[in-house]
Amino acid sequence: MKLELRNIEKSFGEKQVLKGITLEAEGGKAFGLLGRNGAGKTTTIRILMNVFGSDGGEILFDGAPIDYRSVQFGYLPEERGLYPKKKIIDQLTYFAELKGMETAEAVKSIDYWLARLEMTEYRNKRLDTLSKGNQQKIQLITALAHDPQIIILDEPFSGLDPVNAMLLKDVVKEEIGRGKIVLFSSHQMSYIEEFCDSIAILNQGKVAIAGELNEIKRNYPRNRLVVRSQQKEQIMKELGAVCKDMESDAFMITLSSPEDKSNVIKRLAESYDIDEVKVFEPSLGDIFVEHAGENI
Amino acid sequence: MKQLAKILKFEFKNYLQNKIFVGVTVFLVVVIAVAMFIPRAINVFENDVPSIPEPPITDGEQGEGDGDGDVSDLKKDFPKMLIKYGSAEAAEAVRETFSAYFGAYNVILTDDSLDGIKEKIVSGEAECAFVMDGLTSYTYYVNNLSMYDMNTSVANEALRNFYQMSAMMEGGLTAEQASAILAGQIITSQTESLGKDQMQNFFYTYIMIFALYMVILLYGQMVATNVATEKSSRAMELLITSANPVSMMFGKVLASCLAGLTQLIAVFGSAIIFYKLNERYMDDGGIMSSIFNMPVELVVYMLIFFVLGFLIYAFMFGAIGSTASKLEDINTSCMPVILLFVAGFMVVMIGMSTGEVDTAMMKVCSYVPFTSPMAMFTRIAMSTVPIYEIVISVALLIGSVIGVGVLAAKIYRVGVLMYGTPPKLGAILKGIFKG
Repeated sequence: MKLELRNIEKSFGEKQVLKGITLEAEGGKAFGLLGRNGAGKTTTIRILMNVFGSDGGEILFDGAPIDYRSVQFGYLPEERGLYPKKKIIDQLTYFAELKGMETAEAVKSIDYWLARLEMTEYRNKRLDTLSKGNQQKIQLITALAHDPQIIILDEPFSGLDPVNAMLLKDVVKEEIGRGKIVLFSSHQMSYIEEFCDSIAILNQGKVAIAGELNEIKRNYPRNRLVVRSQQKEQIMKELGAVCKDMESDAFMITLSSPEDKSNVIKRLAESYDIDEVKVFEPSLGDIFVEHAGENI
Repeated sequence: MKQLAKILKFEFKNYLQNKIFVGVTVFLVVVIAVAMFIPRAINVFENDVPSIPEPPITDGEQGEGDGDGDVSDLKKDFPKMLIKYGSAEAAEAVRETFSAYFGAYNVILTDDSLDGIKEKIVSGEAECAFVMDGLTSYTYYVNNLSMYDMNTSVANEALRNFYQMSAMMEGGLTAEQASAILAGQIITSQTESLGKDQMQNFFYTYIMIFALYMVILLYGQMVATNVATEKSSRAMELLITSANPVSMMFGKVLASCLAGLTQLIAVFGSAIIFYKLNERYMDDGGIMSSIFNMPVELVVYMLIFFVLGFLIYAFMFGAIGSTASKLEDINTSCMPVILLFVAGFMVVMIGMSTGEVDTAMMKVCSYVPFTSPMAMFTRIAMSTVPIYEIVISVALLIGSVIGVGVLAAKIYRVGVLMYGTPPKLGAILKGIFKG
């Protein structure tokens, strides 16, 4: 399974919200869609789910224009909300039926998911009697019960306690393991790093950077060294402007070119008492700040 | 189509599970049952009671008067009407004439001053007074002049009669001859309406228009609130990605129409059943039987116009609900539609109450889709409308219902995703046409 968005454009009135978004997500892998608020993530998701059309570009599923009659989506919106006054089983069945399931089949699947998420005891309760975290688990069932090929999770971990977060992680990993395309949108970088093989960072309606996360990290110039030493003060003083202070006894040295790496490491080891030297690899947070933080 | 059926079922079930909906329906049925059984209860009561208390009345103090059943004595508990007349010998004759004409009054001659009479009326001792200068001139005094006070016209009639009698008697006729001449002019007449009998049809037309008015406003607002609640609870985020907006809008509106019809059928159906059970106890001058013996053809028209009228407004209310971000905005946003509806209602009501249901205004209204459900039904019920006019009106209405429904679904799709301040009409239209 492969989902491709090509050159998607969208304007609301005079304002162009998406300026040629191109993404690629594969089955059995999770894809992280990142960006600051207003970058165009929700609009991209809505166009992908055919809530409204795009002004330009195309969406392909396995190489052919997507057919919304055969491709099913599961969606956990960032703005959570179901019917507060209705019984949980009733509304879950309703949403599954809207996705085309037969009643009996829907109830069976919902009962499976209620058990999987440890929510069976709330089956016949009204939604508003549940805690926020439990309501979120119920909402997650609306995204999974009809066994969709593409699952879109918008901030799935917000509001969950560590135990529930762990449960959700397991569920997401299972779904990825079953070959589903999982699209993640979150500001919690640690979860994206944990799950997503590929990412795209949107900035002002454009893809600022996209691709395999490891590759993105590897492609960063390897001209920065993180050094840990008890003689931090002395070294920084002697090397001058190339050094940048980091937490506790660590600091960073920026080299003029990556080739100088070996020489510098050798010199440092000979001259000072060095505890640790490694090449600096940016975290997803660093990458995000660099690509999403500008021009807003 | 399958999705539409699911939405319809879910929404309709919501109504049936709504305690207020069920409560109001049951309450109305109970009220109707009580009202319909009252004549029967009274009948049972009247048949039982007289046999016990009657003897004490005939044996008791009542017999103390002159005992010959004097009219004024029987009328002594009736409201008092004072008569002040200049000449004493004619005064008693005038009193007698008035007494005959005003059966529901205890007519009394008085010599009080004008102020004394006024005082009696203000204090409530007497209800009204005629202070006469002669047979052709008088002043009528009453504390609060009721809208339906016909006393002066009855008095005019009585005085005219009295005057004619006196004139004939002065001319040499005996009292018997004069009254025979006056009474001899008995006119018998029959009316046969070749079209509709407005008097008979008025009541059920009135009830139908009122039912339509109440149901459209109540359910219309319910549809608007329902959509706005889904939007404000953010259930919409999921709905809009799960179902087609046209199915959503049609499902919701059809469900509310079905709920409205269910309620009406429950209320009117039980009314008919209770009426049939108590039919022989009803003594209301035929109003009830005119309502309950409504021709089948009119019931069919009523259903057609009811459903179509309901739908066209419910779609508009649904669209409005989708543009409101908060429930508080609903009332303000609904105002234009309510005003449009009330304006149509007023035109029809004025037409109905004046009996002129074929005026140019009513004719125009019976083709305009927003007013035709009420206007055309009123014309059909109270006048004779050529069948082609009805067909044109219904066709226009059906076309408009579909058009408004599709437009409402488009507004819904754009509206539900707009949060914040209610969007301007221009923004919604732009959104619709951009798709």
